Amino acid sequence: MPTLEICHLYPDILNLYGDRGNIISLKMRSLWRGIDVNIHNVSPGDAFYPELYDIVFMGGGQDYEQQIIHEDIVKVKGEAIKEAIENNTVFLCICGGFQVLGKYYKSSDGKETEFLGAIDLWTIGEKKRLAGNIVVELNLEMHGKDTRVAGFENHAGRTYLGKDVKPLGKVLTGYGNNGIDGFEGAVYKNTYCTYLHGSLLPKNPDFADYLLEAALKKKYGGEFSKLFEIDDTLEKLAHDTVINRLLKGLKHKNK
Amino acid sequence: MLFTLAMIAAKFLIWFLRFTGSGGTTLPGRLAAKIYPGILLRLSGKLNVILITGTNGKTTTGRIISRILEINDIPHLQNRSGANLKSGITTAFIEAASIRGNFSCIMAVIESDEAAFKTVAPLLSPKVIVVTNFFRDQLDRYGELLTTVQNVKTGISQCPNAVLVLNADDSLSSYIGREVPNKVIYYGIDGYNSSRSSADIAGADASNCIYCTEKYQYSARTYGHLGHFFCPGCGFKRPEASVACIGVNRLSLSGSDVALRFDEYEVNNSHSVQINLPGLYNVYNALAASACAKALGVPTGTIIDALGTFECGFGRMEIIEHEGRHIRLILIKNPTGFNQVIDYLFSEKKKMVIAFFINDNDADGTDISWLWDVDIELFRDLRNLVVRFYCGGIRAEDMAVRLKYAGIDPGLIFIEKNMKTIIEDSIRLLSEDETLFVLPTYTAMLEVRKLLGTEFNLKEFWK
Ligand SMILES: [Zn+2]
Repeated sequence: MPTLEICHLYPDILNLYGDRGNIISLKMRSLWRGIDVNIHNVSPGDAFYPELYDIVFMGGGQDYEQQIIHEDIVKVKGEAIKEAIENNTVFLCICGGFQVLGKYYKSSDGKETEFLGAIDLWTIGEKKRLAGNIVVELNLEMHGKDTRVAGFENHAGRTYLGKDVKPLGKVLTGYGNNGIDGFEGAVYKNTYCTYLHGSLLPKNPDFADYLLEAALKKKYGGEFSKLFEIDDTLEKLAHDTVINRLLKGLKHKNK
Repeated sequence: MLFTLAMIAAKFLIWFLRFTGSGGTTLPGRLAAKIYPGILLRLSGKLNVILITGTNGKTTTGRIISRILEINDIPHLQNRSGANLKSGITTAFIEAASIRGNFSCIMAVIESDEAAFKTVAPLLSPKVIVVTNFFRDQLDRYGELLTTVQNVKTGISQCPNAVLVLNADDSLSSYIGREVPNKVIYYGIDGYNSSRSSADIAGADASNCIYCTEKYQYSARTYGHLGHFFCPGCGFKRPEASVACIGVNRLSLSGSDVALRFDEYEVNNSHSVQINLPGLYNVYNALAASACAKALGVPTGTIIDALGTFECGFGRMEIIEHEGRHIRLILIKNPTGFNQVIDYLFSEKKKMVIAFFINDNDADGTDISWLWDVDIELFRDLRNLVVRFYCGGIRAEDMAVRLKYAGIDPGLIFIEKNMKTIIEDSIRLLSEDETLFVLPTYTAMLEVRKLLGTEFNLKEFWK
């Protein structure tokens, strides 16, 4: 029986905005297809085994929580995490988890915090938060599946990508990385970063399956890499309802 | 002169809004402040103000305090639930005052939104400030939880004469007590330890020490991050509670039987008390109100009377009888509150229908991802009792997905936005004496209540 080892980084600290919904989604969508799942909760002080995990998930936190994990992730786990990323492990990193993979965070009062530097990107803090519903057109080869994802963003940081890092997608409505260039998230190897927090995957089942397939393909080659269809009526309904509502509002505004 | 003009204009507007049925509470206060900016300061200066803030339980705590004052024949005004920003609070004072700005009451029981507290508190010079607790709530609007705590602390630091009533079991509230010079009365629960896993991730709003970031340890826990916390890093720990629940004999749908201690120096200091409200969270509300009453010097006997005779407030828990079935409305607004409602449903032993109404308007919080922080998985353990789950409201589909991923049989999940249909179906699905639980977010609750009033002629129920 195929098995996925999923690492949830700092689940007891970075657990803001329903981030565990993403873990629940990856787990349930695997189980429904007869794929076994082991969830490894890794907290500060726990060992991180780069060769063990097929998927690594890291959510967002408030500034205070980010501070708690900062030393652990940058000084203790940093090298192991970079190794896993370079080795094509599937990562999904959201909001604070996205920022911390970059090189640094510069706050609005000019204080610079060094981050992991796993990906060539950086974040500048500003006073005004970018918050609200967002729809993104993914910049991924989805083989005819729905490339639009809907979610909610809420971040004070503006993230900018180095020239060799691709954005995860294009903003259809919302702010995205910095509210200026119209891009959202980042992709580097098998690492997917985004500001769409909380229950991103449950409502965007095609993207959830994309990540599962990427992990299965890496682990088992062609054998299990194509997931069979399951009944996604409710998920698609939630997905389409919110996207139609948001994009309709957009057309209205442009008039 | 301008003051009188402001009063007349605002009073006219209050009357007009009520006459047209909109019942708005924001505009009159805003209009009056535009004409006479110092109006709130001037009006509130004539009364002794009790100011209540915190994430959960403000309204219920305020209502219990009001009941205690009532029993003691102390005339007072109170702002309405939901009217807890500066403008709504101003409206409440204007409504109770004469045009010249005089009152027939002597006290004011005011609940304030946590975000507005910093601005409102210095204007009201409260005699007592009650803080219920801090949980994550509508972060999209308030920013971060610790920012909220700091804002409340800043507000308190401008009211050095106020007696603080703080939840000892909440590390974030206790933190404030240590940081300000005010006199503090702590309340808390001593005689209870939750059987539910304390490691549940959803409850970790404040799992690490606010001073040194070390993870708290607990010798007893009630729910969420509330309990007897202790920081192994710096020694910060739960303070002694002088008003305390020292024993829980029964928690049920109709209420709780508990033993309370109102004063640590009292000789015979354990009192059997019936709290006429369900759930542990209402034990906290009762304790907060009791501690406030102690701060005012009210006799213990009247507090016990008030707790036993208290009746439910707006939307927190409302029951309607319809064709022999019960319809119960319970407001849900954040993960902690929702988890408690689930706890509460576990005390129901009969068949039930559950209808969620999830809106994402500003007053509900525009971000609904918090639904994933709720322990919806627990509904699986109620599968023998729940005959159907309905999902309504603007974000009905998201709630349906949440239920599905919690492992609920999709065949039991129905997306139905029409409350009338849900009630008709439920009457058919349920037998006599069984209950339809309607769990709406704030604006959804207003819609549901309106419909129940018009369609089912249940108007007399809403006072
Ligand atoms: Zn500490």
